[in-house]
Amino acid sequence: MLISKIKVRQSLSLKVLLTNLAFAIFIAIFIGVLIHDRVSSTVINEKISISKIETANALNLAQGHFNIARFQNDKGLQKVVQDFITSSREDGSLSGRETVILSINKDAKDQNIYQTVPTLLVLDSIPEKFRDQIRKSDQILDKRVTIRYSDGGEFPGFLIGGKLNIPRSGDYEIYYLFKLNSQYKSISDITWVLLVTGILLIILIGLSTQFVIRQVVSPVKEAALVAEKFTHGDLSSRMTVASDDELASLGNSFNEMAVSIQQQIYRLENLSKLQQRFVSDVSHELRTPLTTLRMAADVIYQAKDGFDSSIARSSELLVNQIDRFELLLSDLLEVSRFDADAAALGITTFDFVNLVRKCVDYMHPSKSPLFEISAPTHSIEIEADPRRVERIMRNLITNAIDHGENKKIEIKIAESENEVAVSVRDFGLGFNQADAAKLFERFWRADPSRARTSGGTGLGLSIALEDTKLHQGQLLAWGNPNQGAHFVLTLPKHYGTAAYSFPIKLEPDITY
Amino acid sequence: MPLVMVVDDDQDLAEMLSIVLTGAGMEVDLVGRGDQVIDLFNSHTPDLVLLDLMLPGIGGIEVCKIIRQRSMVPILMLTAKGDTQDIVLGLEAGADDYMVKPFKPQELVARINTRLRRINKVGNLAIGNLLIDQLEHKVVKEGQEILLTRLEFDLLVTLAKEPGRVFTREALLSEVWGYQHAADTRLVNVHVQRLRSKIEVNAESPEYVLTVRGVGYKAGAAKI
Repeated sequence: MLISKIKVRQSLSLKVLLTNLAFAIFIAIFIGVLIHDRVSSTVINEKISISKIETANALNLAQGHFNIARFQNDKGLQKVVQDFITSSREDGSLSGRETVILSINKDAKDQNIYQTVPTLLVLDSIPEKFRDQIRKSDQILDKRVTIRYSDGGEFPGFLIGGKLNIPRSGDYEIYYLFKLNSQYKSISDITWVLLVTGILLIILIGLSTQFVIRQVVSPVKEAALVAEKFTHGDLSSRMTVASDDELASLGNSFNEMAVSIQQQIYRLENLSKLQQRFVSDVSHELRTPLTTLRMAADVIYQAKDGFDSSIARSSELLVNQIDRFELLLSDLLEVSRFDADAAALGITTFDFVNLVRKCVDYMHPSKSPLFEISAPTHSIEIEADPRRVERIMRNLITNAIDHGENKKIEIKIAESENEVAVSVRDFGLGFNQADAAKLFERFWRADPSRARTSGGTGLGLSIALEDTKLHQGQLLAWGNPNQGAHFVLTLPKHYGTAAYSFPIKLEPDITY
Repeated sequence: MPLVMVVDDDQDLAEMLSIVLTGAGMEVDLVGRGDQVIDLFNSHTPDLVLLDLMLPGIGGIEVCKIIRQRSMVPILMLTAKGDTQDIVLGLEAGADDYMVKPFKPQELVARINTRLRRINKVGNLAIGNLLIDQLEHKVVKEGQEILLTRLEFDLLVTLAKEPGRVFTREALLSEVWGYQHAADTRLVNVHVQRLRSKIEVNAESPEYVLTVRGVGYKAGAAKI
């Protein structure tokens, strides 16, 4: 029930079809009943009124005969009355009419001689109430009844009753019982015709509705389908337009919209491709002159002992800045690869704990006393790109050294069933929690007025985040001004799955 | 003095390279176009070629292939692109090592010296029926001499000298290429493939240079 309700609610065509059918059925029943009533009452009433008039005439005539016959002797009178009864019964046997004559004065015994009741007729067919009415009134009356026979036969019909005065005998009730068999037969025929016509009409209306719906709804359905394809990236899908009506104009507008969106998207795609290409080309083109520059600077630097002190210092600065420039260039190139979705992953299986330890050892031998590493003693094998993971770690560690104000740096490694996590906690400057997301933006500075003291490029954390995303991992940052920062990297152990649980929570336990 | 042929179309860089290399005690030949390499190669055979990948005339990769057809001289590629594909293409074309611009001059000199260094140990080694003559710098298999580049030879000798030992890729990078820090291990993979294609009967199921899954490579005890 509920399911069908949902179906109706979801399907426009079903809704329209059902509404239309309900209307059709209602109208068919209404008209059918109306016609049926009208026809049947007309047919039956006509019959009754004609019969009534005929009966009235016949009784008038009979009464006339009886009145004249009163001057004859008993025998003559009797004959006239008998003739009337006989003829009326004979007429009746042809048209299916029964004649009943009953005496009103039940006391007089000799008066019952004209009493006539057909053999099989059940006298109850004439209700007592009606007989009372006849006895009291002088008019011809009629009533719809069921005519019953003692052999069980029952027929719909009506009776017409009147009074007769037979001279020297008294008043008699006379009833004619008419059967309505043939009328009911015709009415039932008409009913059947009406029923069949009604059903045919409903089916026809249903079919035509279906046809109309298909004409109207199928383009709407197609539009929905095309829109869905469009949403899923098939920018070339269009509606088919085959006519000139309103639906065709829907299709045309839809297609125009699709074309305009497609063009817009292509333009933006092209633009961003061009830009990425440009960044990549610039980075490459800068490399050759930078190589020359670097070698020249090195040659000068190597010979600096023989120079004047200011020139010697200049050569030092030159070499340092070329280092920085080179770092910036390679970071920039990496970023352009991310933007172009051209970053390739070299997945291998390696020991995560070992890699983190190696990063700390290699990176800053002079700073090694600062580090406190807590890690499981066993190895944790993960599937990932070791170069990228190493780069993330290098960036996090460099960041901690740069902003850690020479205080201790805690590195923790933990694992869950499918994830491995490493956290880098420093107790330096920290940052506002509101800036946590901005940290990963390119070239973002916590305090623009503060000089960049480190040799960082401003791209390190942004690249670390991109690297993490490539592995479907999470890189989150927590910080408080002057309480330090806490970076947590969570990676899935198996490449291709995402990190769902977090072995190390972002808020550090102790703050001071 | 070893002779280094520098093939680069950037004149300033080429000149700078020659200053640095000369300062490190090498002789330098400068070539600006890829198609000039072969002419000079015949008249003035170098001990090492420093080859830029982007060259007018014939491209660096083509030049690399042409040199390999006639000589086993060490080739060091210079590339502006650090992309995997370019590097692998260059290595497969026959280069022994590569340097991504910009590089430090000391590193370049160290790299060149590693490639020029002769392994001075004498004596013969063998892996199965593969005989390695270190003095003559020759590899013989079933009476047939197999031509190997100096790098391939060094790789084979390193493995053959310690038959049971499994060398990690990092260890090979440090012993054969002279890298001090972890570098690109694909360098090892590509050269092992090239070495196998020359000495193995079937490179798909090697007998002399075996892969130890997850660790590295070792010399096989091939059946005789």
